[in-house]
Amino acid sequence: MTTDTTDSDGASGAAAAGADSAADVPNRITEQFENIKRTRRRRALGWTGLLAFLAFATLQAFAATELLNPDARLETFTDSLTGFFPITNYFGVIPFLDFGQYIEFIRQENLLYDPEIGGLLFQFPPNPVDIYAFFFRELGIFQIFGEAGITLAMGFVGTVLGFPFALVFGTLGSERVTPFPFNFIFRGTMSFIRAIPAIIWTLIFIPFLGLGPASAAIAIAFDTIGNLGRLFVDELEEIEDGPIEAMRTTGASKPQIVFFGMLSQVRTAFIAWTLYIFEINVRIGVTVGVIGAGGLGYVLTSQQNLLRFTNMMATLLAIFLLIISVELFSQRLRSRLRSDDVEMGIWELVTGFPRRMADSMLK
Amino acid sequence: MTYIEVDGLTKRFGDTVALDDVSFEVPAGEFVIVLGVSGSGKSTLLRTLSGLLSPTEGEILIDGEPMVEPRPEVAMIFQQHNIIGDMTAYSNSLSGGVHRSGFLSSVLQLQDEGEKHRALDALDTVGLLDEAEQKARRMSGGQQQRVGIARALVQQPNVLLADEPVASLDPGSAQSVMDYLRTASDDRDLTTFCSLHQVNIARKFGHRFIGLRDGEKVFDGYRDDLTIDVIDDLYGDIDTEGMFVRDDGDADVPTDEVATS
Repeated sequence: MTTDTTDSDGASGAAAAGADSAADVPNRITEQFENIKRTRRRRALGWTGLLAFLAFATLQAFAATELLNPDARLETFTDSLTGFFPITNYFGVIPFLDFGQYIEFIRQENLLYDPEIGGLLFQFPPNPVDIYAFFFRELGIFQIFGEAGITLAMGFVGTVLGFPFALVFGTLGSERVTPFPFNFIFRGTMSFIRAIPAIIWTLIFIPFLGLGPASAAIAIAFDTIGNLGRLFVDELEEIEDGPIEAMRTTGASKPQIVFFGMLSQVRTAFIAWTLYIFEINVRIGVTVGVIGAGGLGYVLTSQQNLLRFTNMMATLLAIFLLIISVELFSQRLRSRLRSDDVEMGIWELVTGFPRRMADSMLK
Repeated sequence: MTYIEVDGLTKRFGDTVALDDVSFEVPAGEFVIVLGVSGSGKSTLLRTLSGLLSPTEGEILIDGEPMVEPRPEVAMIFQQHNIIGDMTAYSNSLSGGVHRSGFLSSVLQLQDEGEKHRALDALDTVGLLDEAEQKARRMSGGQQQRVGIARALVQQPNVLLADEPVASLDPGSAQSVMDYLRTASDDRDLTTFCSLHQVNIARKFGHRFIGLRDGEKVFDGYRDDLTIDVIDDLYGDIDTEGMFVRDDGDADVPTDEVATS
């Protein structure tokens, strides 16, 4: 196709020019023009070949995934979808999505809020004994969010426990810190950890801590070492030599050169990556919940087993809310870390919001 | 008394000869300016003096000891200042003295009070005491370079090496950075090596001049020996008029302190 267009374009162009001054076009120009035409034709052939190969490979992959003659049951699927989206008739006539059923399940199963724990904090008049109990006896900061809190806590604990190891492994895995063959001890360890998904690590830790959030949190911590450590290694490849040399000339010791010359260059980036991994870890917290480790993932899979699709959808909504909140929080924090602006105080963050919102809308 | 002795210094990078049999002796306390076009070996000379590079042939003796690796008594200032942008001017200044404290106390800034006063004193020397708490990244180029000088001073060196410290600064900031460098060097009695492009700044601040061309030492002398012919020789065929400011010219005009930030 491409070749054709070029050809006809070129031909017509040459014809038009030829009408005026065919004799004027010097040889080297026509020669170069022919050259370009040949190159383009060759390139077009190459692309066509590549596309054909890609199509062929895709066909093979379809066959391997049994998508060529799938065991499709469209009716069952539509049935389940109606389960996902229960319809009710408002005022008896207007059909509308029945949100009430979702909310009922979310409340009944404490998906987003645990009233037993939350009641300690929110009561009027405030009771200092209960508030003390909330923070220090029940340790309720995460538990107040019910099942979502458990999932969130799994991601949080995983990130906190994994971070120091990721820092050590990532730093020692960098070629600038550990000379070439030896840094692969650390990089290799991280590759091995990464090769096994968090959900499998959970299975491995079940004999140790039992099936529950504990083994899930440890599994996520393990996963964090592999993934966050890898990001740290990559980030350390990008740093500049200047500050390292400067620290060398001050006569600093090797660990001091690593800390002042290297790590201080990537501090912001490391914090930002850690927040990013925290986002991902909360998501992994949902996944490992599915095999029974608790939290929203576990609720999801039990409702699926009972074929209660409406409840499943309610859980999905809770998951959506949790993930979006975590992402919003972490992204705002990251962009604030990376920007050179003077940081805003909490008060200004809250009171200045309407003005900033208006500014953004007018842009 | 000879403090720095360079004898037959040669540095090769593969086939490229960056320094070719350079020898000189410098007594303690001199302010030496190294002149030459880009690629003449100025940086290589300073980096070898600092111990960042090791000589291919020849020897460098500083205070009688051969220079084989960086030593605390030899400090270096870089063209790109190489300070840490995420840290404050004060923390950067303090990091010059980490060789005197252990890893944890330097990381957590638990050095004794004398050390911390030294860091502030160095910032005061370069006129940045009031900006001590500012992030280095938010400072102007001239200020960042002065933080670099402060860090080098906190190191408490005997020798100060400055590799084109003003090459990326505007003329006003360049003047003021050189002023601070010269003052610090005089006050603390440091033997200083400073490589420069700008001949007029060089003439204004230098005691002694070493000229390099294609890695060879082509000039070594004091202020009066640095004539227009020497400059012509150093910079080859390019038009050197205007690069050379005579003593009766504006070389003694007071430094313009305004354009420092």
